[in-house]
Amino acid sequence: MGHVDPQDAANGIVHEYDGIKEQDNKLPNWWLGTFYVTIAFAGYYWLAAEGFQTTLSPRAEFDQQMAVQAAEEAAKLKTMGAVDDTSLTNMAKNASAVAEGQGAFMANCASCHGANGGGGIGPNLTDNAWLHGGAPTKVYATIKEGFTAKGMPAWGAILGEEKTRLVSAYVVSLKNTNVAGGKPPAGEVEK
Amino acid sequence: MSTSAAAAEGEAAAAPGVRLEKRHIVYDDGITRMFVGASVIFALVAMLVGVLVALQLAFHPANIAPLLTFGRLRPLHTNAAIFAFVGNMVFAGIYYSTQRLTKARMASRTLSLVHFWGWQLIIVSAAVTLPLGITSGKEYAELEWPIDLAIALVWVIFAINFFATLWKRNEKQMYVALWFYIASIITVAVLHIVNSLALPVSILKSYSIYSGAQDALVQWWYGHNAVAFFLTTPVLGIMYYYLPKAANRPVFSYRLSIVHFWALVFVYIWAGPHHLLNTALPDWAQTLGMIFSLMLWAPSWGGMLNGLMTLRGAWAQVRRDPVLKFFAAGVTFYGMATFEGPLLSIKGVSALAHYTDWIIGHVHAGALGWNGFMAAGMFYWMVPKLFGTKLHSERAANIHFWLGTAGIILYVVSMWVAGITQGLMWRATDAKGSLLYPNFIETLTALKSMYWTRIIGGTVYLVGMLMMAWNLFMTAKAGKAVDGEAEVVVEVSDAPAVPWTRIVFGGPVVVSVIVLVVLGAIALTNAVGAGAFMLLALAIAVMAIMIGQRKKDPTKPGWHALVEGRAFLFSVFTVIAVLIGGAAEIIPSLIIKQTDAAVLAAKHPPYSALELEGRDVYIREGCYNCHSQLIRPFKWEAQRYGEPNTLDDSRWDHPFQWGSKRTGPDLARVGGKYPNVWHWQHMIDPRTISPGSNMPSYTHLPTSTVDFAGTKEKVYAMKTLGVPYSDAQINGAQASAQAQAAEIVADLKAAGVNANPNSQLVALTAFLQRLGKPPAPKLAPIGMPVTLNEKPTDAPAPTAATH
Repeated sequence: MGHVDPQDAANGIVHEYDGIKEQDNKLPNWWLGTFYVTIAFAGYYWLAAEGFQTTLSPRAEFDQQMAVQAAEEAAKLKTMGAVDDTSLTNMAKNASAVAEGQGAFMANCASCHGANGGGGIGPNLTDNAWLHGGAPTKVYATIKEGFTAKGMPAWGAILGEEKTRLVSAYVVSLKNTNVAGGKPPAGEVEK
Repeated sequence: MSTSAAAAEGEAAAAPGVRLEKRHIVYDDGITRMFVGASVIFALVAMLVGVLVALQLAFHPANIAPLLTFGRLRPLHTNAAIFAFVGNMVFAGIYYSTQRLTKARMASRTLSLVHFWGWQLIIVSAAVTLPLGITSGKEYAELEWPIDLAIALVWVIFAINFFATLWKRNEKQMYVALWFYIASIITVAVLHIVNSLALPVSILKSYSIYSGAQDALVQWWYGHNAVAFFLTTPVLGIMYYYLPKAANRPVFSYRLSIVHFWALVFVYIWAGPHHLLNTALPDWAQTLGMIFSLMLWAPSWGGMLNGLMTLRGAWAQVRRDPVLKFFAAGVTFYGMATFEGPLLSIKGVSALAHYTDWIIGHVHAGALGWNGFMAAGMFYWMVPKLFGTKLHSERAANIHFWLGTAGIILYVVSMWVAGITQGLMWRATDAKGSLLYPNFIETLTALKSMYWTRIIGGTVYLVGMLMMAWNLFMTAKAGKAVDGEAEVVVEVSDAPAVPWTRIVFGGPVVVSVIVLVVLGAIALTNAVGAGAFMLLALAIAVMAIMIGQRKKDPTKPGWHALVEGRAFLFSVFTVIAVLIGGAAEIIPSLIIKQTDAAVLAAKHPPYSALELEGRDVYIREGCYNCHSQLIRPFKWEAQRYGEPNTLDDSRWDHPFQWGSKRTGPDLARVGGKYPNVWHWQHMIDPRTISPGSNMPSYTHLPTSTVDFAGTKEKVYAMKTLGVPYSDAQINGAQASAQAQAAEIVADLKAAGVNANPNSQLVALTAFLQRLGKPPAPKLAPIGMPVTLNEKPTDAPAPTAATH
């Protein structure tokens, strides 16, 4: 204040501290503009999100999406028809369906049942012994609902209806292929 | 009486009523030299550990259980980088510049020394306890309660020393650097104390007094503002002192300093919830976090502008001088990181970036670019002066600069690529609407090359730092420690000081209070009212500014100039500015009506005694460093992990375990997804189950044992914190824990594994199997109603189910 050299003062120096001189230039307009725009947006967004609630909260948006999905799933189920042993057996004979099922199997099931279905932590799927039934609809139900107490997760919600059926078809197609190095059979042998 | 210093030479005759006093001051630069040395050493340690943890992510055998796994070393890396490297650097800068800006020697050499050695002792205790797994489990605040107390104590000693120096200053007016130091010292104390409140259960174990969403909010209010007031504001103060000194150019704009300082300290504190966007945190808090983060953009850039504009006309100098190169690049990285921060705080952007490596890249742009480069610039400028010599090698410093820049670019770009890649893979669905990459491992192995690139970047940066350490050492060796001296002429005025009421009831204070009260009223009204109050506040602010401009008298010092001369009032205003945001977010969330504890306990019973023990293992191993426990409300997350989490899910979690990064999958609902034997095997060797996994092998867990004698104490502590356990549950804690362990052991035996019932891995398995699930029927805590939606387990009858 009082200590600024007169010559410096003429050059716009307003303070000097420990030899550091300080000017007092105007705030750049673009900087001020940025500040004002963010403040205005903050006000607008608060009103939109919390005041008038014209934008949905993440949770509300999710609930809406899930409702739409449930409706779509229901419609799809209708076109796919009911699950029965025949439809799954037919699928298991369809090479492209089996390949698609295999893809999902590799991603989700291989860590417990082995990449070739020969078993690991989970049972061998390539023999003819089944812990929860070997009929195609039983296999489907096991995958969909799981036996969580025994360690088999419920995959229906994760895979969706269509993929659950495709994986079921793939597993049905493995039956009796008895891969080398598989785990010893467990459960009831199917007749 | 008021005093102010003037340069000894060329001072005109004093005004009437003013005496001139000549004072000779010898600065205490010894303390600065000590802090510089500590900072450089710990920089190397922090970055070496950084390279090691980066290697562990790319190459899992680099994990050596139990002491040197990622989960234990990552907190060591972050604590060392923040508190040891940058902490000591900031102290060095503050001690050196404060004495010169106040024209006063530090108030007490004893306090300075206690501060220095106390701080180093804290760092050493961190380096010992963190690899031992002694942790409170809150990020960047992992240190256990005795160390937390020591931090508070040492910080208060530092504060006393600093404010006593301000008190006896010979330069009445405080330069902007000091404003930032004041704000930093006060706010860090508040943050540390509020976030570290915990209930000790033993000498090295405590539980946060907050739980679930409240703990999350307090933690990230702390975490975000540790970045703000430990890594940013003190370094801005340092920039304001060292950059114009080194460039020998005038600071660009005093009024910009005022505007961006107050905007920064007021706005920063609100932005914490941007770490919790799209989580179970109440929506209003998320929205506040987002909008205040956006409003932070310009105030942050105000600091960058004042730095870069000070270098106007000095660019030829920048080309030659390594010091200015580091400052110019450091400030530019600051600008980059403070643009990226608001961007990441937009809910939709956070949806992609949260939990990914993008955030890791973002913090390293700040840590390596801003903190690392400002530190290097400061050291290269200051060390020669501290030793009365010239820098040993300018050439080496220039090479350090280019190595550092290359390292940062490799680091940050590889993390951007990794983060965005993984974020997109997580959400990718095929034409049928199912996940394109349902196996989490695929989204991790896709990043391998980026993880190696990061290691290269980090290593190159570390090589630069090694060169700096050598260069500074050689400089010090060539010179001799010298303490700065100054002759100051102090004006001792008998004129009465401006009464404090003129400052406290000054125009800017009155207008700010009115505007804040009007804006605060938004919380009490509906949408239309909120809009009206916003417009009213705007009108008041605009009018006040117009009146202020018209009434301005250039011959008299303005209101702010008066505050700059009053350290105590300045500090009080800073405290108030900082506390408003914290109070506005934390108080409502603490008093908000939550689900009744008994009602919630019926639906969602607290952990069993064994699960609590397992949870302590989970926290000790630092699992939260790689696994979140918070499923966000997105379709793709629900498909992968299950139903999105709500507030109730983590209500009994002291501390919360939401996590902030998913190097592995979310675990909020992993309970019951896999059999016990899966977890057993997976913990011992993850790759037998998930080929390609980078998770450490926890080979020590099967043989390490739980001391069930202490279990009761833990359950009791939880009850003290408000978790509804009955007396029977507390007294029967040990028996119930051992009974549950026996059941798991029996189940493992059926699967062909012989487990020790006291094994920590059994406890951890119990905890993991419980996540997102009600307890299995036989294991229900006594006296706790349980609703079943599970098929009963058909494991062999437990041998010790006596309760």
